[in-house]
Amino acid sequence: MATAIEEDFKNEVLRLAGEEVRTCIQCGTCSASCPTAHLMKPSIRRLVKLCLEGRREEALHNETLWLCTSCLLCTVRCPRGIRPKMVVSALKELADREKIESPGKNYDHLFNKQIEEYGRISELPLIGEFLLFYPQGTVQSMKVGLELLPRGKITLEREQVMGKDEVKRIMEELGK
Amino acid sequence: MKLAYYPGCVSLSTGKEMDRSTRAVFSSLEIELEELEDWNCCGATHVSNEMVATGLAARNMSQTELDIVTSCSICYSNLRAAAMKLEDVEIRAKVNAVLEKEYKGAKIRHALDVILEVLEKDDQGIVVPLKELKVAAYYGCLLSRPPGVYSPEYPVVLEKLIRILQADAVDFRRKTFCCGGPIFMPKEEAANETAYRILKDAKEAGAEVIITVCPLCQFMLDTKQRSVEQRYGEEIGIPVLYVTQLVGIALGLGPDDLGMDMNAVSPMPMMERIYQRMAEQ
Repeated sequence: MATAIEEDFKNEVLRLAGEEVRTCIQCGTCSASCPTAHLMKPSIRRLVKLCLEGRREEALHNETLWLCTSCLLCTVRCPRGIRPKMVVSALKELADREKIESPGKNYDHLFNKQIEEYGRISELPLIGEFLLFYPQGTVQSMKVGLELLPRGKITLEREQVMGKDEVKRIMEELGK
Repeated sequence: MKLAYYPGCVSLSTGKEMDRSTRAVFSSLEIELEELEDWNCCGATHVSNEMVATGLAARNMSQTELDIVTSCSICYSNLRAAAMKLEDVEIRAKVNAVLEKEYKGAKIRHALDVILEVLEKDDQGIVVPLKELKVAAYYGCLLSRPPGVYSPEYPVVLEKLIRILQADAVDFRRKTFCCGGPIFMPKEEAANETAYRILKDAKEAGAEVIITVCPLCQFMLDTKQRSVEQRYGEEIGIPVLYVTQLVGIALGLGPDDLGMDMNAVSPMPMMERIYQRMAEQ
């Protein structure tokens, strides 16, 4: 018998990613199509299984979620019409609600926060804020900065929309 | 022709050459672009909640009654996915309940699609034929996904455009292999590896230039090319142009119009070869 927590977890994933996830036959087409599959543990195929079995901890605490590039190839190819990428997205959202710490999650969190506050992304403040969480990314960012700066591609200005309230409403109301 | 233009956040920073060359090419083709009023971020690949992503796209799409064109494949994919989602009346009602202006439906086009439509009808504007130029057409993921417009497995639309420009498309196996861009910050190594495989494949195919249709692909293959070379101890040195930059050369636009000084790997030697070949003919 599944516990209530396991059931709730499974149902929330199905609500966010689609009921059809139940029909997974574990064929592995998603894993075979994934460009970063060789780095993932658990694989995307297994991740879907973990969700259906309500194995919340294993499904949320892994780096597989943050290795997904959103290329959608799994979703294009799934013979059952499931969107494995949307299963990953659902888990990312739950990981954010649970405040699970991971560089990938922190990056997404900051990205969403910027949209909620300003309506647009300004790359420099985004990267700057991310590096506070993840100083290991500093060398890479410096190298990129050296390519971008002389080409006038680093802007100090903060981009923002006029309809901030509307954007905030979209994030809050539709995110429930 | 008049279209609503959705530049996207990247066009104001790392993708400035994409924006500049898009505006220049459209102006040269006499297509009027009206920038979408008060447009917001599409969420890129970082908004996980599907309803929120749909709402963000819907706000953009509710700003105009014109067809919407964008040069960014991520924005394009997100707006298309949202438009499909919004066909569901329940979802549309939920989204419209939070929007200022009502979403009533939208047609989304990629700049590539519009350019091709115009040039297929009339190629008189091609004053600099790109004869003998070996081009690797890099599609990446989101131009053709979700499916519905181009084949999500083996698109050929760029090769068609390359032929119209009178250049040669090289046989490029990894043309739809992901560049790794969306995870480059938190997962640098994984992203470097995907970018490296694509660059190496294009080089082995004999490409003189790679063209892209997404600013993040452009970033991974061009801006990060030097880092990738250092990481793998291998020289690549292939210029990477945004598709509108290559079209712009053929339309006779100059390097300044097309933001060529903003590419990390200089396209100038390649441009000189193009002009030299033209002079020899």
